Amino acid sequence: MIWVAWRQHRTLMLWGAVAVAAMTLFLIPTGIGMSHFFTSSGLARCLSTVGADCGDLGQQFDSRYSGYAFLVPLFLMAPVLFGMFFGAPLIAREMDGGTYRLAWTQGVSRPRWLSTKLAVVIGSALVGAIALALLVTWWSRPLITNGASRFRPGIFDLRGVVPIAYTIFAVMLGVAIGTLIKKTLPAVGVTLVAFAGVRVGIELFLRQHYMTAKTLTQSLISSKGPPGAGAADWIIRENTIDRLGHIVSSGRGPDFGYLAARCPALAAAGPFPKFATAVPGQADPFAACVQHLGLRDMIVYQPASRFWTFQWIEFGIFIALAIGLAVFTVWRTKRLS
Amino acid sequence: MNALEASGLSKRYGKHWALENCAFELPSGSIAGLVGPNGAGKTTLLHIAVGLLEPTRGSLRILGERPGAAQVLPRVGFVAQDTPLYKGFKVSEMISFGAHMNVGFDMEFARSRIARLEIPPDQKAGSLSGGQRAQVGLALALAKRPEILLLDEPLASLDPLARREFLQTLMEGVADTGVTVVLSSHLLTDLERVCDHMMVLARGRFRLIGDTADIIKTHKVLIGPKERVGSISGVSNVLHQSTTDRQATLLVRTDGPIIDPSWMVNQVSLEDVVLAYLDSRSTSADAVPDLHAVEEVAR
Amino acid sequence: MIEFRLESRSGIAPYLQIVQQVKHALRLGMLRTGDQLPTVKEVVGSIAINPNTVLKAYRELEHEGLVEGRPGVGTFVLKGLDGPPPQAHAALRRSLLRWIRTAIDAGLDYDSVEALFDSTFRESAEEEIA
Repeated sequence: MIWVAWRQHRTLMLWGAVAVAAMTLFLIPTGIGMSHFFTSSGLARCLSTVGADCGDLGQQFDSRYSGYAFLVPLFLMAPVLFGMFFGAPLIAREMDGGTYRLAWTQGVSRPRWLSTKLAVVIGSALVGAIALALLVTWWSRPLITNGASRFRPGIFDLRGVVPIAYTIFAVMLGVAIGTLIKKTLPAVGVTLVAFAGVRVGIELFLRQHYMTAKTLTQSLISSKGPPGAGAADWIIRENTIDRLGHIVSSGRGPDFGYLAARCPALAAAGPFPKFATAVPGQADPFAACVQHLGLRDMIVYQPASRFWTFQWIEFGIFIALAIGLAVFTVWRTKRLS
Repeated sequence: MNALEASGLSKRYGKHWALENCAFELPSGSIAGLVGPNGAGKTTLLHIAVGLLEPTRGSLRILGERPGAAQVLPRVGFVAQDTPLYKGFKVSEMISFGAHMNVGFDMEFARSRIARLEIPPDQKAGSLSGGQRAQVGLALALAKRPEILLLDEPLASLDPLARREFLQTLMEGVADTGVTVVLSSHLLTDLERVCDHMMVLARGRFRLIGDTADIIKTHKVLIGPKERVGSISGVSNVLHQSTTDRQATLLVRTDGPIIDPSWMVNQVSLEDVVLAYLDSRSTSADAVPDLHAVEEVAR
Repeated sequence: MIEFRLESRSGIAPYLQIVQQVKHALRLGMLRTGDQLPTVKEVVGSIAINPNTVLKAYRELEHEGLVEGRPGVGTFVLKGLDGPPPQAHAALRRSLLRWIRTAIDAGLDYDSVEALFDSTFRESAEEEIA
């Protein structure tokens, strides 16, 4: 039976391997180049030195490699592509082409037939997903060290263990949809939409609540990010609050209009950059107003130390969903006609 | 033991009843023809027998077991309409498929059969002719060494030569193993020489079930004067009647010899009988005559 | 080796046709004592008919003492059939003509005579076997 599953999906797995190989051929040389420049430009040493200002070196690195930004959406697509091409046709194609009348009247029960095919297909998707996850993690390390938060939505999805869970979920979702929509092409399309819906829903609305977020309030007037919430953390939102704790504006710092309405001295001075550094000897109308109103910066965030906890929680969620889909699929397949 | 047994079998799709209250018993070793026009419910019946469909009401037992059950699947051979095969597989790979999906699959038998029919084993299944496909499907099913073989319209898209070759192969398989066979068709001529049992289905109901020889023996065509149409000794049922101004031609079912001299008694062909039952005005299921020698127990 | 033919529209039961063809071959010497009849598998492989038909025919021939089935080997001819003596043919012909004339005189037309003969003949053949 394993031979049958392998033979049926052999072309598919071949194309999958080709796709992963192509990505590898791109990632390895560019990754080596990026890593090399990271060290040779001195950025690596700078970032590992405490208190050093690596702004310029970092900018230089960023502008050189900003072109790779297009790759991010591509890698985000990898799990759903597995789902669409490995998962959706699994059952839909047998129904579509009428070959279920051949497959289900042999000496193998439907649950065993299904589980063997799932094992082979998910197994091979898994190999591809793990290879990609490792590659992308290695490849993106310089970018991360330079300040892109690995906890950020978008980057979080490409590193660690969650891409593997997404892949398994996507394939199971495709198979399940194939048992409901018994035609290949529509099943492929619906899998794409359904997967996107689940991923976006969880990422935008659920993920921030895995653990209660920390809240930090700080002065609005300071030069760089404070020790409390930095580039490696996941900043969920940032607001300006007043003395009583009410939210006054979104983002860091209040609107000029809000301040001007309350501080006549500021209104007279005119609009200004929000983080003006105090000029010695000159009263800073902005700082004075902010102080007078008791405005502070409030950051809601998940600390970087929670990165792996979150990875495993999300991994668990998607695996649980995949298991639920698997149970549904087996039940549904037994009753298909 | 009966190879196939049904009682009160019904299947509904939405509002439409594909099968209604079907009942029959098929003894082991029979070669049964399931005949009926398109849409009669033949495929529905066969799919229920192999576990691809669940009945809405009633029951069907195959080799004494529930259709599709793990213990009966390996003992049942089935070739669906138009012989579905994996188009990208070579013929030799289809044989491997059979071997991997069935314990006790006779690979040597399958290979020698394919070779004898001169079908190239390296050819893709998708590029086989209709006749070759049907033969490959039959070979795969026979190689399972099943106790019952169900074939859904195996001859439908075959030319006369391919049809003859298919039936030859099938009959050899039966001579070899005594396998029970049910083959469905909407053509009667091929079934006549091969089937010893007829099951006539139309619009979801059985019209006629019985042994072929009995059917021929107990039906006659009577030709005689129109005025004499009425109760005729020896006639139990008039199935079909056509009259001119003087003459009546009747297709009747007999329960004794026809000795009335006004009637000329002619042999009837199986096709005539089947057509008459398909055309029958009577739609009540109770009107189905069962011509088994064994008396039917009332259901 | 003898080859069989099935006439589906002849009105004669298929197994009887096989019996008749074997007897015909015996009478004409195409089958002799000791010859093996084709196996059931061979027969159905060449003319696609129900194997039971062949089995029934061979059983009938065995019942009439013309052939013998040896399990695992095959079915073999036991004894030949002589045709009827030539005089019998002539006498039978004459009595048949007489019967036909009697039937015509009684008012039957030729088609009715044929139909009557056909059905009676068939009844008789099947009764003999039963």
